[in-house]
Amino acid sequence: MVDTLQPPVAAPATDFDFHRLVDVEAGWIDRRIFWDEGIYQLELERIFARCWAFVGHESQFAAPGDFVTTYIGQDAVIVAKDRRGEVNVFLNSCTHRGNRVCFAETGSTRQFTCNFHGWAFGLDGGLISAHEEHHYSRCATFDKSKLGLHRARTATYKGLIFATFDPEAPSLDEYLGDYRYYLDVLLDNDPGGTEFLDGNVKSRLRCNWKFAAENFVGDAYHAGWTHASAAAALFQRDVKVNPAHSYQANINGHGTEFGLDLFGNAMALAEPEVVEYLKENEARFAERLGKLRSRMVGAMSSSNVFPNLAYLTGLNTWRVWVPKGPHEIELNTWVLVNRDMPKRLKEAYRRGVSRTFSPTGMFESDDGENWEHCTHSNAGVVTRRQKLHYGLGLDSRMEHEEFPGAVYHVQLNDANQRAFYQRWADLMSASRWADVPKR
Amino acid sequence: MSVNATLDREREPAPRRRASLDFVHEVQQFLYREARLLDEQRYDDWFELMTEDFTYWVPVPQSRYRRDKKPTYEPGRMAHFDDTLTELKLRASRWKEKTAWSEDPPTRNVHYVTNIEIAPAEGAQDWLVRSVAISLRTRNEDEENWLGGRREDLIRETPDGLKLVRRWVFLTQTVLLSKNFNTFI
Ligand code: FES
Ligand SMILES: [Fe+2]
Repeated sequence: MVDTLQPPVAAPATDFDFHRLVDVEAGWIDRRIFWDEGIYQLELERIFARCWAFVGHESQFAAPGDFVTTYIGQDAVIVAKDRRGEVNVFLNSCTHRGNRVCFAETGSTRQFTCNFHGWAFGLDGGLISAHEEHHYSRCATFDKSKLGLHRARTATYKGLIFATFDPEAPSLDEYLGDYRYYLDVLLDNDPGGTEFLDGNVKSRLRCNWKFAAENFVGDAYHAGWTHASAAAALFQRDVKVNPAHSYQANINGHGTEFGLDLFGNAMALAEPEVVEYLKENEARFAERLGKLRSRMVGAMSSSNVFPNLAYLTGLNTWRVWVPKGPHEIELNTWVLVNRDMPKRLKEAYRRGVSRTFSPTGMFESDDGENWEHCTHSNAGVVTRRQKLHYGLGLDSRMEHEEFPGAVYHVQLNDANQRAFYQRWADLMSASRWADVPKR
Repeated sequence: MSVNATLDREREPAPRRRASLDFVHEVQQFLYREARLLDEQRYDDWFELMTEDFTYWVPVPQSRYRRDKKPTYEPGRMAHFDDTLTELKLRASRWKEKTAWSEDPPTRNVHYVTNIEIAPAEGAQDWLVRSVAISLRTRNEDEENWLGGRREDLIRETPDGLKLVRRWVFLTQTVLLSKNFNTFI
């Protein structure tokens, strides 16, 4: 770590009582959390600069030199594989005058050379050389070992690469906790592991990032109404949830709402081979995951890993809600498949996800309209005073013999959203990781 | 490959035929009418302009270094569209449902078509028609989205008039600067 990096300054908005803004016991949420610039700045400090952020999948970094540029909060970062095979994550901003160092989205390179004065950084972020470096020969503070690009801690979980800028953050395993049980439904249903299909889709939505995150963490309720037209076009009927065998579960603010219907989500791909694949492999999934989880692999479900990584079983879209200010996000999406899946099935996923969960997709194109207007209506000062209702399923907590975490009966429920905001308030209230309550 | 060339393929066949002025006019009118059908959201009429085996490909461009061996546009990557005619019809069928809430009131849409170039293609009745298309969408009070790209169409002369056999659209936006892409282009 470079000692030129300053400690975080006390941000504005620390005087809010965040546990009052989000009353998770009674299920009321203060709309200022979706609008206020000060709250947003504190989110960047206390959530995005501290939590483990998803930055890529190992399959994107096949060879040394492979890199991707992305964001942790609003901090631009480079993710690059070095000659030793390590994947490094470091700031994409030069230590000389701060210029952006890498402008390509992805590619392969030996080093990253800044356009401004030609300082060159290695695949681990270290400063290798400067243009006409002899000018610095008598400069005592020009210590190359101290002028590298600031590195984040990295860790992986079954192919997913995460990074955090907080040296005090708990380990990734601790951060994910028992939520790994649910992640394994997609990450570990096949011995060959997973990969991302080539390429991704990015778009901009003028919404607060939390509307997207809460939607995926637990808003099964919207599907039947918002997506009625897509369901009608695809199935000639409504989206119906099975109340007897559907659940919400959450751990550390991560959450998933799910049924046990094996292929409910996968059906929307309109690629019959995918549903066949799920049916044929159910027993094989069960060998790795057990009977219950084998029924989740393609089921009606949505999930969000705190703060801003989301995915859908069955449709296999993985996505990050990158904040671009209090009222805007960049949505960055990939498709995850089992590495050993036949090629034509991967192709079915590639094309099917485009038709459903992409900006041109039959489902996704309806979501943005809602999230944008949930956000922008808060420009009204009186409007902002009206608290929002998050009370569905307040009495639905249950014990389950297998499912870890806080489990709730019926996926139509606000339980995961309340838990998401509880985690949010816990982090926003704590000045350091040690003060974040373990729940 | 030259910068911003849309795909690294096309060594075009030597021009055996040349489009007459009349034919240029016909193609131009065809493209203008097609654009108007999209503006008016008359998708069934729009699909009438395609052959049964029509394919539609709108790749997502990637911003890569010039020295990179991989191109900006590449088949097989994630795409905005990579559809057959049947699949396009499935997408459009959603917009016809009364429950397509986010399309009611409808988006106001104008497609602007320009830079039309016509060259002979492989098949005796086929023409490679290049154009630039820009879509202006306006929704609600203040939502305005511009989306433009270079198109490469394969257009066939048939007894029923001109038909689109294939369309590729090479957009300029790597990050789609809007919440959705609820039209064809
Ligand atoms: S800002 Fe990067 S070399 Fe000067
Ligand atoms: Fe949705």
